[in-house]
Amino acid sequence: MVLPLHGLGGAEDLPIPVGLAVAGATAALVVSFCVLVLAWRSSRYDPVRPGRQVPARFTAVVDSAGLAWTLRVLGLAFALYLLWALVWGPDLVTNPVLGTFYVLVWVGLVPASLLLGPVVRAVSPVRTINLVLVRVTGGDPAAGLRTYPARLGYWPAALGLFAFVWQELVNPESAYLGSVRVWLATYLAVMLIGAAVFGDEWFARADPFEVYSSLVAKLSAWGRDDTGHLVVRSPLANLATVTARPGLVAVVAVLLGSTAFDSYADTISWLRVVDRVGLDPVLVNSAALAVFCLVVGVTFTAAAMSTGVETTGPRAVRRSALPDLLAHSVIPIVVGYITAHYLSYLVEQGQTTLIQLSDPMVRGDNLLGTADWSVNYFLSFNPSLLAVLQVLAVVAGHVVGVVAAHDRALALLPKRHQVTGQLGMLVVMVAYTATGLYLLMGGF
Amino acid sequence: MPSALRLCSILLAALLLTAGCGSDDRADTASDDAPPTPSESTATAGRTPSQQPTKAPGTGAKTVDIRFTGDTVKPQDSAMKVEAGQPLTLRITADKPGELHVHSTPEQEIEYAAGTSERTLTIEQPGLVDVESHDLGTLIVKLEVR
Repeated sequence: MVLPLHGLGGAEDLPIPVGLAVAGATAALVVSFCVLVLAWRSSRYDPVRPGRQVPARFTAVVDSAGLAWTLRVLGLAFALYLLWALVWGPDLVTNPVLGTFYVLVWVGLVPASLLLGPVVRAVSPVRTINLVLVRVTGGDPAAGLRTYPARLGYWPAALGLFAFVWQELVNPESAYLGSVRVWLATYLAVMLIGAAVFGDEWFARADPFEVYSSLVAKLSAWGRDDTGHLVVRSPLANLATVTARPGLVAVVAVLLGSTAFDSYADTISWLRVVDRVGLDPVLVNSAALAVFCLVVGVTFTAAAMSTGVETTGPRAVRRSALPDLLAHSVIPIVVGYITAHYLSYLVEQGQTTLIQLSDPMVRGDNLLGTADWSVNYFLSFNPSLLAVLQVLAVVAGHVVGVVAAHDRALALLPKRHQVTGQLGMLVVMVAYTATGLYLLMGGF
Repeated sequence: MPSALRLCSILLAALLLTAGCGSDDRADTASDDAPPTPSESTATAGRTPSQQPTKAPGTGAKTVDIRFTGDTVKPQDSAMKVEAGQPLTLRITADKPGELHVHSTPEQEIEYAAGTSERTLTIEQPGLVDVESHDLGTLIVKLEVR
């Protein structure tokens, strides 16, 4: 069984030229070294920079109940529109449910959150359904039967993200509606039951889409200060406001590892391995996907802990706490690599999906007026430009990640370990970037 | 200190751009100016040499020989380079009728009958395109379309 790329069919990007990949890897290496020896020597982003408050009138609009409910209603209406196509639409790859699920939502949430902040939280249909249910029964959405245990942190979201990437990249049925129905029904049930038990904090810890979006939103310019006012601050300062919770390393490991697996699983060398092993390809690919995520998680954890720490005094920190405290620095690396990996897919398959959305029953309707649009394949027809954009995205993500890790290390590590304590992190980050570029080179 | 960092990043950007452009130029001259050589069209991954895609002598068109026997297909998991817009001939020998899936954009499906038949495939858009057997679910050849 050959697994379709990214869940849907179509051509893939050409491999990037070797010279460009080498240049990108070299740049990543040099930047890392420059950051270590030349950049600032005391943390700039810990404690949190307040940021610049936006005009009160603008905050009032953003925080208004009117806008909140408009976004909720739009999100719910869109979800119901897709539910129609999901349940009653034909089981064809042109059914817009597939493109919306795998492209517009999964890939599109990254640029949307980078530009606008935590968008999924604002439009999430499961949040809205929960809110309406609670309001109808006269309860408080924040109150559950029990308090959410802090030690669970982001672990439920890491599991949810793994469930999504398994569905997208391993499940041979991924392009058939039946598997999407099962996935979404399970998602809805887990979200609503969890929210009933733990209150709506559950969504911020367990909803894979919301957690992914809210983490990427930390690279946007939008933040909140101590008083809850809307502020604008630099993405690096904003990134430092990610709260380190248990499971944060697992979340970023699943995101980075699965994307690398997606590149690798389509190479001829991997297909031959699967053929030669002779076991059920679903089993082999599931194991490989898990191994990719584990390798990222384990290498990052080891690297983050490869330093001396202060055990007493104001800078005392447990070594086992370091991986989650540094994990925010992988978010830009994830975003850079995802951009490189999915750019043409989002732009081109995204346009195709917008066209298909006008015809949810696949019978020639033009309900939204997009049916007669045509897809612009500019990126695919300019592979050199696409390759340069891909490498720039990977290197930019690497630079931001290295700077974020450097800044946090300065805040956490004792003076005598501040240079040597960062070496492990630099090595794994260069390794992630070089591996990413190698995989973009096609690896066959 | 920040100015040193700024200088560092400008140098890097310059390095990246020159290296990137340089490698692109080399790639372009290699594919555009040099006449197509037999090695270019040789599959890098065919399992049996006789089943590797070969270039028809004297014509611009390339040919892939695909042979279905029972539940196997040759070649399997092979790779080949083709030019965008250049016709590719698939010479299919099969003991029963079936269907090939070509994962280009847009997707293409090719039906074939039992016996030997030829189909021509043209891919306009650059990219990596998998040609798969629908019935066996195996990759036959991955086309690198430039």
